[in-house]
Amino acid sequence: MNVQYKKGVIELCVLSMLYRKDSYGYDISEYISKRINISDGTIYPILRKLKSEGLVTTYLSEESGGPPRKYYRITELGRRQYLADKAEWLNFIGEVNNLLKEDGDE
Amino acid sequence: MNRKEFIETLTKKLRENNISDIDEIIAEYEEHFNFKLTDGYSEEEIAAGLGNPEEIAMQYTSGNIDNKTIGKKAIITTGLVFADIFAGAFFALFFAWVIVMVTFTIASATVGVCYLGRFNIYSLIPPIPYYWCRIVYVVMLLSLAVLSGVGTIYCAAYYRQLMRAYGRFHYNCIASASGKAVFPPLNIRPQFSAKTYRLFRKIVLIALAVFAVSFVLSYILSAIATGSLEFWHVWKWFIE
Repeated sequence: MNVQYKKGVIELCVLSMLYRKDSYGYDISEYISKRINISDGTIYPILRKLKSEGLVTTYLSEESGGPPRKYYRITELGRRQYLADKAEWLNFIGEVNNLLKEDGDE
Repeated sequence: MNRKEFIETLTKKLRENNISDIDEIIAEYEEHFNFKLTDGYSEEEIAAGLGNPEEIAMQYTSGNIDNKTIGKKAIITTGLVFADIFAGAFFALFFAWVIVMVTFTIASATVGVCYLGRFNIYSLIPPIPYYWCRIVYVVMLLSLAVLSGVGTIYCAAYYRQLMRAYGRFHYNCIASASGKAVFPPLNIRPQFSAKTYRLFRKIVLIALAVFAVSFVLSYILSAIATGSLEFWHVWKWFIE
């Protein structure tokens, strides 16, 4: 699948994960790359892009016996954006499915 | 490609693309390497999994934090300098107060011990000629020393925690102005364990009770012993 096309979808997946709970970069990277076939390095630029757009924020959390870990948290703007994008996505794939089924019926 | 090569190429390419906060970006990849290494992957496998560093560096161009943050950072830094001056004066004063408390504790304890052991170096301590009176004064002074000692520990702990909280605030101000991740703010009050806290409370309550009783008792005993309500005149305290 086209990389640029995937990136948009992965943004949605990242937001979906952060919508449920705060996570750190590696956690998100593992979670996504286990399900979707992308290289591990793709997630970090996406996280930074989401941050610069104000959809997520970061904070540091002191872990026992290690350096502080950077967590990502979804913002209010991010929540709204996620819900809107999710609805749009579901609608879109629904339409695409319908379209493809028509093709199969013939 | 091993870890070092990957990080170096990525850093170089990020620099070429004029990306800000390269350290923060690199830190994420270093962390990624650390996690994967613990899981038993080799450096080469991890680097391959991450993908081409040159392509990764390209992807950062779209999410670059622009130069607006630089002006904001200058304002925050200036504000912080003024805040630091006031905080510095406050902490110096607070420190002096802790020293006063330490001195007071040592002084009460020393005078108490001197009465108990009948040491009176250079006749600096006002005389108490009667044995029982002296014992009550000793109890009073030592309980005062305990009270003041616990107070000193609490104040010193408060001082330390307040300094740490201010340091954290200082760090967070600069970090947030540069768009970096911040730490959660620290509590400004000292964080004792419930057990320590209960122990302090117990010691303070007992010492306070002992001090109050011995204070009243010392006056009554002294007044009886001298037959005067202003016994300090009889014992010739506070005069050359």
